[in-house]
Amino acid sequence: MLDKGKIGSLQAVFLLVSMVLPTALLYISAHTSRHAGQDGWISLMLAVFAALAIARLAVSLARRFPGQTLFQFPEHILGRWPGKAVAVLYVWWFFHMNAEIIRQFGNFLVAAFMTHTPLIVFELLIVLIAAYAVRGGLEVFTRANQIILPFILGLIIITNILIAPEIDLKKLLPVFSDSGAVPVLKGAVMPASWLGEIVIVAVLLPYLDRGQKAFKIAVTATLITGLILLITFVTDIALFSPQLTVAALFPELSKVRIISLGNFLERLEAITMGIWIAGGLIKISLFYWAAVLGSAQCLELKDYRPLVLPAGVILLALSVMLHENIIEQVNFLGAFWGPYALFLFQTGIPLFLLAAAAARGLGGQERQ
Amino acid sequence: MVKYIKPIKIGQGGRRKSRSGRSRTPGEYAQENTFPSMELHDMELHDRQLDSDLQSNLQQLMRILDDCSDVVYREFAPAGDGHPGLALVFVDGLVDKTLVSDQIMHSLMLDAPLVRPGDQFTGDGAFKMIRERLLPYQQMMETGNLGRVIDAVLAGETVLLVDGCARALINDVKGWEMRSITESQTEIVIRGPREAFVESIRVNTSLLRRKIKNPNLKIEALKLGRVTKTDLAVAYIKGIANEKLVAEIKERLSRIEIDAILETGYIEELIEDSPRSPFPTVGHTERPDKAAAQLLEGRAAVLVDGTPHVLTVPFLFIESLQFPEDYYERWVVSSAVRLLRLVFLMVSLVLPSFYVAVVTFHHELLPTPLLLSLAAQREAIPYPAVFEVLIMELSFEVLREAGVRLPRQVGQAVSIVGALVVGLAAVQAGLVAAATVIIVALTGIASFTTYYSTGFAIRFLRFPLLVLAGSLGLYGLLCGLLALLIHLASLRSFGVPYLSPAAPFHPGEQKDMAIRVPWWAMLYRPRLAGTANPRRETAGLEPAPPPPGQNGPTGDEQ
Repeated sequence: MLDKGKIGSLQAVFLLVSMVLPTALLYISAHTSRHAGQDGWISLMLAVFAALAIARLAVSLARRFPGQTLFQFPEHILGRWPGKAVAVLYVWWFFHMNAEIIRQFGNFLVAAFMTHTPLIVFELLIVLIAAYAVRGGLEVFTRANQIILPFILGLIIITNILIAPEIDLKKLLPVFSDSGAVPVLKGAVMPASWLGEIVIVAVLLPYLDRGQKAFKIAVTATLITGLILLITFVTDIALFSPQLTVAALFPELSKVRIISLGNFLERLEAITMGIWIAGGLIKISLFYWAAVLGSAQCLELKDYRPLVLPAGVILLALSVMLHENIIEQVNFLGAFWGPYALFLFQTGIPLFLLAAAAARGLGGQERQ
Repeated sequence: MVKYIKPIKIGQGGRRKSRSGRSRTPGEYAQENTFPSMELHDMELHDRQLDSDLQSNLQQLMRILDDCSDVVYREFAPAGDGHPGLALVFVDGLVDKTLVSDQIMHSLMLDAPLVRPGDQFTGDGAFKMIRERLLPYQQMMETGNLGRVIDAVLAGETVLLVDGCARALINDVKGWEMRSITESQTEIVIRGPREAFVESIRVNTSLLRRKIKNPNLKIEALKLGRVTKTDLAVAYIKGIANEKLVAEIKERLSRIEIDAILETGYIEELIEDSPRSPFPTVGHTERPDKAAAQLLEGRAAVLVDGTPHVLTVPFLFIESLQFPEDYYERWVVSSAVRLLRLVFLMVSLVLPSFYVAVVTFHHELLPTPLLLSLAAQREAIPYPAVFEVLIMELSFEVLREAGVRLPRQVGQAVSIVGALVVGLAAVQAGLVAAATVIIVALTGIASFTTYYSTGFAIRFLRFPLLVLAGSLGLYGLLCGLLALLIHLASLRSFGVPYLSPAAPFHPGEQKDMAIRVPWWAMLYRPRLAGTANPRRETAGLEPAPPPPGQNGPTGDEQ
């Protein structure tokens, strides 16, 4: 095992919540209501179900090969070179996804807070810290997350309570009548691809203290995340109506700006920034770790640490080069990310691997 | 006993080889030995035996202890027939003089003859006689080894040599000037025992033993320091402390090869898990009650002769907020005070950088009236906020450092200069804003509410955070804090995660964290590295008034 750490069940739930929540929180309302309008909450629920299915798939697959990660067992299923190719694809995906996240991170900070600072400054700093965390290993950023996540959840709850007086639930009407099934399904793709990142349990499974609970862990994390996203979406729509939500770059930020409590507690954007930075760090660290671990496992190295800094440079360069500007990124994610992540990496390949493994009768321990 | 290392030829090849790897065997350490002559000296001494001739023994001793003017050689004749042939060797100032003259010399010179009437005088016979009948001491040893004799003399014991016998008697009559037990100067409580450890390891172990009168309190002795030969003791409670932890500590101590141990800090830096961190992962205390409490929680302590500070391991971050008085005062108030400490720990770390970030980048975070008043104050200030705060923080640190170092007589001057020049005058001269002075003062005070070594680390970390906040605003500050959190999460103290039981989170271990629950609810010891005996007390000890009428009238009944 390249990382000697083991994480407990509670830690794993926390980690998986932190993996999805911070990014999704900021973008979910805009992306979902673009297609589904005020019925986005139905899309969200569909997305949660899709994520649960993906979790089931990933756990079933990974459990057939105890002690091996997503980067190792394709070799056993498909043979050495095809298996390696699949593993490399996943390594690429983790790099690519992480670069997108880092770019979103930088874009958000530049667009919302410090418009004159170059993007790379923000990205460099966060990648450096993530590299430090990844060098420490899975256990380290998991532990840090146990301090961070309660703050994030607390702040989200507090903002939603403070915003309550402004809410107008009538904006959620009419239900389903003016959208129909297709837009709702379309609206579900983006959130499903975020929640579907739960496929990472196939990498985490060997590092879980109690591997047999992996599915329970994934389900708990997905439900918590789904619930918070649902609340966020509903309050966003009830505040701004779907039209305004789509128009806003960061509805969550606009929401926090509304809060005013006795002329004393107001302009709390810093809170959103805090959530985004702290949660973003954990998310970036986790995918960074997965990418580096995957590279090391593909190359059959004894230690993944020498790869951390080079991988950081790649991530940074990739994130800067991927898109011209924030609008292009939003459009790219909206148009391609769903099919690319959801149908290829989160469902397509795992399904294919599972089918192949079942057909070849490999790794029968799943029922244990 | 000291481990004496075989001298090995110092070859260049060996040197280079030993530098390359990180973990080295003791043999390789010996190759890097910087005291070959001293080591040889020790070796030689411990190979050499005493002679049966008194004069030759004395001469050997004098040659070795050459130029040591504090060593006394006292030759005298025993009582009875004039056999010339006893000598006492000791270090002046390390022995109890009245004991030496009244007991040893008096009894040997005046009271009893060394030979039973009619027997022939022999050196061995006399030696036996002295040992068994003449010297009334509890602690007495005999040896024929010259090195052992030298060690004993230098450790403050008195060595008696007998002519015609190749053995020496070592009497423990140590007695030197030392500080008496006083109140702790650095860890002060309002309620609780006042005594503190002193410089003598014997007194310190007795202080521990007086608190824990249990055969399972083990105090294992060892010696470290090739030149200083300092006494150390590892204390733990068998059956409560994890055996693996104790073994690990002893193993780490046994790896130490150093010339001197003058303070526990030497040991701390040589045994800690994360030697490059600013945060302490080994605790220290000068309070016996705290040390005893640590032992009872399954920790181990390292006592070092010559310092009143006792090391305790493992040390977790939460201990920075725990103080002995928390456990003596009422729990509700103690818990509130502990929360206060937690808040001010954050304040002392973050407040100046937060101020700088807000004033420089995020004006929108301030309520408008406050913003206006701040702007008015800062109007005439020539420097950017970060520079201003840095200067003020530095001056505060200087004042604090000077306050510790300055002779007590001039201490007054420092506080006057501090209050007037750095505070009032700087504001009036328009060098700094009044708000900055408030911030810096509050920060300075806040850093004293935590455990000293942690406060030290925080003091130091404030400056990088200030620079980050001054250059990147809240983003920089948050990144700094996150890096710090990652760092803290990566630390371990003797294998125990530094942030536990918060991260990794143990629901059952929260009773002594942010809130200190009352003693009747604190049923279990902290898990730490897995204590063998987790139960602290029986359940159901919560006190309550007796049922009405049981103990006579309740007073309401009249």
